[in-house]
Amino acid sequence: MEELLLKIKEQVIDVLNLEDVEPADIDTDAPLFGDGLGLDSIDALELIVLLEKQYGIKIEDPKDGKKIFQTIRTIAEFIEEKKK
Amino acid sequence: MDVYIKGIGIISPQNTTDSSKFLDEVVAHDTEFLSCVQPNYKEFINPIQLRRMSKLIKMGISASKLCLRDAGIENPGAIITGTGLGLVGDTEKFLNQVLDNNEEFLAPTAFIQSTHNTISGQVAIALKCFNYNNTYSHRGFSFESALLDGMLLIKDKDAENVLVGGFDEITPEHHSIIKKTHWVKNDAIKSLELLDHKTSGSVVGEGVAFFSLTGEKDDNNYARIKDLKTIYKPESNEEIEAKIDEFLAKNNLKKEDIDLVILGLNGNVDTDDVYYHLADNYFDTNYAYFKHLSGDYHTVGTFALWFAANTIKHQNVPEVARFRKENFTEKPIKNVLVYNHFREVDHSIFLLTQ
Repeated sequence: MEELLLKIKEQVIDVLNLEDVEPADIDTDAPLFGDGLGLDSIDALELIVLLEKQYGIKIEDPKDGKKIFQTIRTIAEFIEEKKK
Repeated sequence: MDVYIKGIGIISPQNTTDSSKFLDEVVAHDTEFLSCVQPNYKEFINPIQLRRMSKLIKMGISASKLCLRDAGIENPGAIITGTGLGLVGDTEKFLNQVLDNNEEFLAPTAFIQSTHNTISGQVAIALKCFNYNNTYSHRGFSFESALLDGMLLIKDKDAENVLVGGFDEITPEHHSIIKKTHWVKNDAIKSLELLDHKTSGSVVGEGVAFFSLTGEKDDNNYARIKDLKTIYKPESNEEIEAKIDEFLAKNNLKKEDIDLVILGLNGNVDTDDVYYHLADNYFDTNYAYFKHLSGDYHTVGTFALWFAANTIKHQNVPEVARFRKENFTEKPIKNVLVYNHFREVDHSIFLLTQ
């Protein structure tokens, strides 16, 4: 799980072009949207594409996105669950 | 009503972001194309917004803020831009994603930002400006169309002040494509020696500039834009002379009244003839040129207008930009005419006065 969390943080930094942010700076359990990293709806689209491209996971119902993209940990848990 | 330039923000291949200076230190380029000197964008843009922006958007927002700061204006009555090719970098990124991923997994950012009106939209969002907003993309007349629109808004009193800009960028990929045409020189040259290379093609550049236009006369204004004219595909130098005669007469001026003519010489032996003709046979005054400092691109009229306005403001033509230096005479600079054309198709004339 730790390995996956680190990998997701690196990928999020890359696709969202989070300059001056290191994986260690991202709190695994902090909200990604709003207060935490301050991401917005375009970032959400970028994350949907990231999941599809890197992990082959398609989010069928957009409503699920809010729950899945809450934190780095919820993204990792969703990926783990889909792998099973 | 008269139209004045109240403020300017420009990012170019020269150090132009400090409005108190006018080419005090010249940047010499010896690369295949002239790239802009990048400012510290964090001075102008929130880091959270900055991360998503491509180079041209960063330059656009920064130049608009520099311009408004220079003019002392917070919110303009209109935002109008012109661009020949729009956001080439974002367009390339999006198209490469389409190819690389076999038309799947298309990320939204580059696509959203690839449209021509991205800059005027982003500037409006950054300023929370909900006034008239427009973007012109008319090849070599793109900036001229935006400028004309802005001048008409001022003249018709539809806006007290207008933010007018122009932008174009060059990328290695785009340069590799246009290098296959005769419009670009085959080899990298020293930019300051542009006119010494008697070969086909020019050197491509890029830049973003915004101008704050107002109808209010003020001693701090850069200059008055007295008139603007565009000529599409003139057939001969004689036709161009006749059009300039007509243009000057309309503005109650004679060619002897022009203190400085700024020529769009770009070092292309195939297309510079008109400039040499005007200098040799038509005008008899001081001349300047600027494309060795900016490179050539669709909206290079922005750099020309910045240059012209500054010659009036500073009452000086920097040594590096003087053409026919041996005949250059020191005299007050009251009336300045800019003559430029883009690939012999889109010819434009700006007339500026004190």
